[in-house]
Amino acid sequence: MVNRLGRTSLYVFLAVCGFMTVFPILNILAVSFSSSRAIISGEVSLWPVEFNAQAYVQLIRDGQLLAALKNTVIITAAGTALHMLATTPAAYTLSKKRLRGRAFFTFVVLFSMLFGTGLIPLFLLMKQLQLLDSYWAIWLPGLVSAYNLFVMKSFFEGMPAELEESATIDGATDLSIFFRLTLPLSKPILAAISLFYAVALWNTYSNALYFITDSRLLPVTVKLYQMLQMPIDSLLSGAEGASYIQPEGLKAAAIILTVAPILLVYPFLQKHFVKGVLLGSVKG
Amino acid sequence: MSSMRGERMLGRAALPAASVPKTRRSRLRDVYRDRYLYVFLLPALAYFIVFKYVTLFGETIAFKNYRLLDGIWGSEWVGLKHFRTLFNSEDFWHVLGNTLLLNVYHLAFAFPAPIVLALLLNEVRAEWFKRAVQNLLYLPFFISWVVLGGMIVSLLSPSTGVVNALLGLFGVEPIYFMTSSVWWPVVFIVSTIWQSAGWGTIIYMAAMAAIDPGLYEAAKMDGAGRLRQVWHITLPGIRGTIAVLLVLQMGKMMDVGFEHVYNLQNAAVFSVSDVISTYVYRIGLQNAQYSLATAVGLFQGVIGLILVLIVNKTVKKLGEGGLW
Repeated sequence: MVNRLGRTSLYVFLAVCGFMTVFPILNILAVSFSSSRAIISGEVSLWPVEFNAQAYVQLIRDGQLLAALKNTVIITAAGTALHMLATTPAAYTLSKKRLRGRAFFTFVVLFSMLFGTGLIPLFLLMKQLQLLDSYWAIWLPGLVSAYNLFVMKSFFEGMPAELEESATIDGATDLSIFFRLTLPLSKPILAAISLFYAVALWNTYSNALYFITDSRLLPVTVKLYQMLQMPIDSLLSGAEGASYIQPEGLKAAAIILTVAPILLVYPFLQKHFVKGVLLGSVKG
Repeated sequence: MSSMRGERMLGRAALPAASVPKTRRSRLRDVYRDRYLYVFLLPALAYFIVFKYVTLFGETIAFKNYRLLDGIWGSEWVGLKHFRTLFNSEDFWHVLGNTLLLNVYHLAFAFPAPIVLALLLNEVRAEWFKRAVQNLLYLPFFISWVVLGGMIVSLLSPSTGVVNALLGLFGVEPIYFMTSSVWWPVVFIVSTIWQSAGWGTIIYMAAMAAIDPGLYEAAKMDGAGRLRQVWHITLPGIRGTIAVLLVLQMGKMMDVGFEHVYNLQNAAVFSVSDVISTYVYRIGLQNAQYSLATAVGLFQGVIGLILVLIVNKTVKKLGEGGLW
């Protein structure tokens, strides 16, 4: 049934799908390096036309987006550490079958997966705790992902019990077993889960939109949203304005600056993400 | 020190023996033995209690007249007043309709997309080609909706966008995709597929890899072509996975991702793009109608839960595993 023709069209179709998936990214990259004239006349598709980096120069001189990028770096780095510090030890504890109350604690986590947190109750809680307009409002609502917790727990459960037994006989305490034995043997899962958290934090958007109003604290995503929505003449804060550059180019450059770090580490990210998803789906 | 250690080990070894009476003292000793483990659990447990269960209690303001001054406890009970207001408001039905409609489109077009892609990828024999295509297909999943939305708007712009430039070559007048209430839902669904169909193939491909290759051998012996093998072996092999993902998707029928809609939305297409999540944000956070917005959220959550339970039961009746 599937002859040579069928096979060729399969390959062509998939290649086209792959190309169309990345085309919008290549297009925006080309626009960000093109001249205003070329952008307005709609000539830009895959390659920059009349190459120039004016848009980037202006964005960097303006500084707002860079400041927001710096915020995002802080949010991502500190947030990933916080998430991991809360998730990893808890997953380790829940993986211990001998623990008293294990079933109850597991149920507390599992049951919470059945319903989402309402925006308004969450907002009022944040207000009550006086955490609005701080990065805690970004980190705390998703401090521990139940899904990540269970993936990690089942990874710990899959580790050979004899290892720990022999360590116990050698006099190791729970703490030293965790730090000297379990953690070093869990690098693949630690890498995968940290990257799940890190990418989510880099892309953090709604929590910042809901809970942060101080524009100096905004992450790059919300800053970018504001730039994309703004009328043409107020895109930049400086007096030089956007008079001589087509704002489409400026917006494109802002988009590229926001997404560049993700694109740069993508091959690395992707490998660990896939591994993490597969680890998670084994036990479901 | 060494005697303490000995005791600890004894306690551990004695645990599985059912004959040992579980006195309060031995229970306390177990807890003391595992004290570090409980400390390990503490931050996560506190998080779940405060941010999942205390906020669940906060949902009660849907039945109260919430005022900041009175707090959640102190505000006066008003029963179903807010729900009555909602069910009598045109906006609410409108928003509910949009939410359901976009989700029906999702089920019809976006849900099958990764299945089709995975079936196609599964037929590729050249490993390098498969891997290259997968690398490209996964990419948008890692990018935030602000960025994806910005790219879409730029791509579809009637004046400078490449899509309209291309259509212009065939003599088509520029189409205002983002501001047309006919085109907007199409853009929304296509962008869903763009962002997540590639990533969604992973779980199906894993299910396909678990199918016994002997089945294909036997089918080949019987003279079955590739298409018949896909129909009789591959598809039945991933039926369970499809069923589970379908149950999960049904649970989201009342929910359209806020970040996705919000970043594609504009005033011109409000009539088709205003959904529950954007409505709650608007009336709740922007207009500070806390109780009313909570009622909307609660309604959404309860219907979503009921849907999951019903679909899970149905799927089980049809002989699939389901979620639990």
